[in-house]
Amino acid sequence: MPDVGEGGPPDARARLAAAQRELLAALVAGGPGPVGFDERRLAIQAASLIAKRRGLVALSAPDLVGSLGGEFPALFASYAEGRPKPPGGSRADARAFADWLAPGPAEPPAPRRRGFWSRVRETRRARRAST
Amino acid sequence: MTAEELGIGIGWRAEIDLTVERLPGVEFVEVIAESLRPARLPESLRVLRSKGIPVIPHGVGLGLGGAEPPAPEGLAHLAACARALDAPLVSEHLAFVRAGGMEAGHLLPVPRTRDALSVIVQNVRQAQAALPVPLALENVAALFGWPGDELTEAQFLGELVERTGVGLLIDVANLYTNQVNLGLDAREALDGLPLDALAYVHVAGGHLHEGVWHDTHTASVPPDVLDLLAELCARTRPPGVLLEWDDAYPSDAALAAELDRVRRVVSGG
Repeated sequence: MPDVGEGGPPDARARLAAAQRELLAALVAGGPGPVGFDERRLAIQAASLIAKRRGLVALSAPDLVGSLGGEFPALFASYAEGRPKPPGGSRADARAFADWLAPGPAEPPAPRRRGFWSRVRETRRARRAST
Repeated sequence: MTAEELGIGIGWRAEIDLTVERLPGVEFVEVIAESLRPARLPESLRVLRSKGIPVIPHGVGLGLGGAEPPAPEGLAHLAACARALDAPLVSEHLAFVRAGGMEAGHLLPVPRTRDALSVIVQNVRQAQAALPVPLALENVAALFGWPGDELTEAQFLGELVERTGVGLLIDVANLYTNQVNLGLDAREALDGLPLDALAYVHVAGGHLHEGVWHDTHTASVPPDVLDLLAELCARTRPPGVLLEWDDAYPSDAALAAELDRVRRVVSGG
């Protein structure tokens, strides 16, 4: 990238990156509020971002959310405060929320699949029993 | 119908696909680009295209107001959407959506400094170079402002138009939001914007909560927002006006009535 000198885009990119990172960390990762911002407004924005995440998680995992009933909003707020949305969108957010609710294996172990011949034997036993 | 080019439209959403097809007087629609697979367009969009209804891909994830250049794969997706829909233009936002590896999940306002402008001009030029059709940028709704802004939103958008030739998607509900929340005069903004670059207009409803306007797209367009639309129409003839409704969908009749309210304002009635 050509360097266009003091104030040129490469420096400007670095400055913009730092400013946006600091602000976003305050909004979604529990970072300190950047200097000069209205803290009350940042709190409203942070809560609004969590509400938006909560709505999308409710669409992604209706069973989980249904099982939590009226507890869901408060539980989701406790989960999401200071915890940025994980990569992978709202489905990943829903999985991470489920893990946070019940730490443990992310997926239940898959049931052992029965062998083909065990099913053949069972079918034969059932047929013999019925005749 | 007094609007030229596009006319009166509504945001197409999968939840209301049949409604949008059936609503009388829908002259164009917009579809969230990130929800589309260009190789497998929803049947409903193909029906609308076969009727000659323009479909505009509307991106929400490029983050053209961010410090990083727009991602090539994001641009390629938007370009593919434009080609698949034979769209006359595409639209995105003057906003940042990620930083430092974190996703905001939302359109956040940019600092309006000359320094940030130099970066965003480059981002917009890169996007334009990757797109097969013209790009329009939308002003966003904000709940907070950056300290140290050097330019108004109208000046910032004006500079972007001047230096990149980008079009403007003016969301009058977002201007209203910023007026309520940040005390930024929406009529002054309309006075300052280069309306010859206007691509089309958004209107939407929202909710006032503890003195703060939340632009939720889940309610009837308030009279104040329609008044702003009328103010805009007094300054220029908008090429298109589109109603955004994103959740808590009302009846077909209620949506049709909403479009009628918009149409009456645009036609000066």
